[in-house]
Amino acid sequence: MRHILKPPFRPFGGLALLVGLFLGLATPLRAYPIFARKYQTACNTCHTVYPKLNPFGQAFRLNGYRMPKETEDLVKQVPVSLGSPAYAKLWPNAVMPSQLPGNAPLAMNVKMESVSTSAYDPASGKTTTHNDFQFPQEANLFGAGTLGDHMSFMAELTFGENADGSTSTEIEHARLDFDSIAGPDHLVNLRIGKFAPNLYDGFQEMWLMTDNGVDTMFTYNPVGYRGGVGSGADDAATPIISLPGRVRGIELYGVAGHRFFYTLGLMSKIGPGGYSGAYGGATPTSPNGNFGNNTHKDFYARLDYKFGGMGLDGDTEGVKLPPENWRENSFRVGVLGVSGNGRDINFSVADDLGNPFNMQDVSYTRAGVFASWLFHDLNVFGVYLRGNDKLQLLDPVSNLVLDENTRSYNTWFTQADYVINPTFLASVRYERLRPADPTVKAERFLNLNFTYLVYANVKAMLEFREDLNETRNKQLAIVLRAAF
Amino acid sequence: MNTALCTLLALALAGSLPAGDLHGKVACKGVRNSADAVVYLDAIPGKTFPAPAKHALVDQKNLVFIPHVLPVQVGTTVDFHNDDAVLHNVFSPDACCSKFNLGTWPQGQSRSYTFKNECQATLLCKVHPEMEGFVVAVPTPYYAVTKADGSYEIKNVPDGQFTVKVWHPKLKAAQKAVKVAGSTQADFEIAR
Repeated sequence: MRHILKPPFRPFGGLALLVGLFLGLATPLRAYPIFARKYQTACNTCHTVYPKLNPFGQAFRLNGYRMPKETEDLVKQVPVSLGSPAYAKLWPNAVMPSQLPGNAPLAMNVKMESVSTSAYDPASGKTTTHNDFQFPQEANLFGAGTLGDHMSFMAELTFGENADGSTSTEIEHARLDFDSIAGPDHLVNLRIGKFAPNLYDGFQEMWLMTDNGVDTMFTYNPVGYRGGVGSGADDAATPIISLPGRVRGIELYGVAGHRFFYTLGLMSKIGPGGYSGAYGGATPTSPNGNFGNNTHKDFYARLDYKFGGMGLDGDTEGVKLPPENWRENSFRVGVLGVSGNGRDINFSVADDLGNPFNMQDVSYTRAGVFASWLFHDLNVFGVYLRGNDKLQLLDPVSNLVLDENTRSYNTWFTQADYVINPTFLASVRYERLRPADPTVKAERFLNLNFTYLVYANVKAMLEFREDLNETRNKQLAIVLRAAF
Repeated sequence: MNTALCTLLALALAGSLPAGDLHGKVACKGVRNSADAVVYLDAIPGKTFPAPAKHALVDQKNLVFIPHVLPVQVGTTVDFHNDDAVLHNVFSPDACCSKFNLGTWPQGQSRSYTFKNECQATLLCKVHPEMEGFVVAVPTPYYAVTKADGSYEIKNVPDGQFTVKVWHPKLKAAQKAVKVAGSTQADFEIAR
């Protein structure tokens, strides 16, 4: 029996959605003064403005937190030996030698944010404004470093304070990398843990200079009676399947010939977090990006090539670069994709009359193109992403399949970051999301940012975000961030 | 007359005059300082040097091999002394010194090993895996270890044309021909 899918069931009201978008999805902090201490160098060796990486910082990251062609004298904090290097000759009759960072590889970030939000509720016709001192909005404890020549690690524990006074703690990242494990340096690296996959290199929130992440890219909810209706929120009552900003997985990545980048990964399926019950149940036990509760694993891949500028591994052979380390003339282009399976995970949907159904996203793909053009002080980059979801409508009691449809959505954004001078920077971003449900209007957002780098490790930002479909929905944030 | 004859005979036997010293700097690129490079004259064709009777010493103190790098002439016996209150061991994973293992011994005692071949022997301690030292057995008695600034001096080097080699625990070895005449300077640069 085929059911005609009818207008969407919105899992939560417009106001809640916007509050979620504007308040709940602010960019976590990411800058690691651990390395400033290790190398006795300033933050802007690697960051244009943290957490946005300059070309050298990108190479440093991809090299497993090692400087290009790193030598011992560059490392100012002498590491602790876990065995003389000569023990390598005795392996496996002796444990392979390694090193520990010379000092505890820890750093803190704190973020204070004054947020003014205006949200229009179409149900009541009222516009609600809210001014909130989020002092602090969150604090992050980082651990990152290298363990000898072929291992590195990164962990991040985030402490958050919510507007209602509640607090939260989350392990946002915890990963181990095995670096340059075969072939030439930087060619084969293996990562395991919870992390922002290199699938999103350059546009995930942890690499953006803006306070807001690209929500339309990462929080789209593809599940709805007629397909997805728009962005969701990862702490919403109804879970989402989208493109998780962080994954639990295993990733292979590397740089070949200085300019070719690849990554292949296997991750816990995208979808709801841990859900109780045989078919997902109704009680979320963890946010999106955490453990999925089916046995399927999703696959992802990305291939990039960089023209001009510094090599992706930091190679500068034959390249003329200006002394201003955020500048270069380069163009990077890449393709990315995800393939997954959300079978056996039930989501609750309802038709126009409120009749409940279960829905499963039994097969999904995401395919996109990334491009980044860096010219002098300007960096323009963006992503186009298209997603297909095979949605099954099921009887809520018997769980029998009533209908099946493939729904498609697309989303894209473009962002221009400009270094006015090393102290002042500006950014403008336009985002557009065309949900799968044809009856729903495309979402469009404008995000403007002005950043003042007070010190290399302290910055102040003024950021404005507006819903271009409903200009009464907007947010103005004044942000103060420090890394130490 | 007899004295003059004896002098001439001695000079002829020596083949060259002990006329001065070889000195200079070794620039060690990519490491924290330029210490611990061994500079030495390679084997001199037609010349042999008897093994020294005097033992050399490597101390184990505060869980460190002292000195970190010890050059010796081939044939030298090295005493390894435990100056710590804990047990120490000395062994080498290198074939050039037959992968010797001297066992474990307490404070105040020593064990010895004679380096019969040219060798860059890594010294390790099974009890304390982070300990690392080196004995570099070279074919002539003309050698020196660089200071932190890279400077070295080898005294009483005869005049002549020699191959001078440089070895470092972490960097690639280097060599070059040097003509020694009196006080002679020879600088090197080594890297990974």
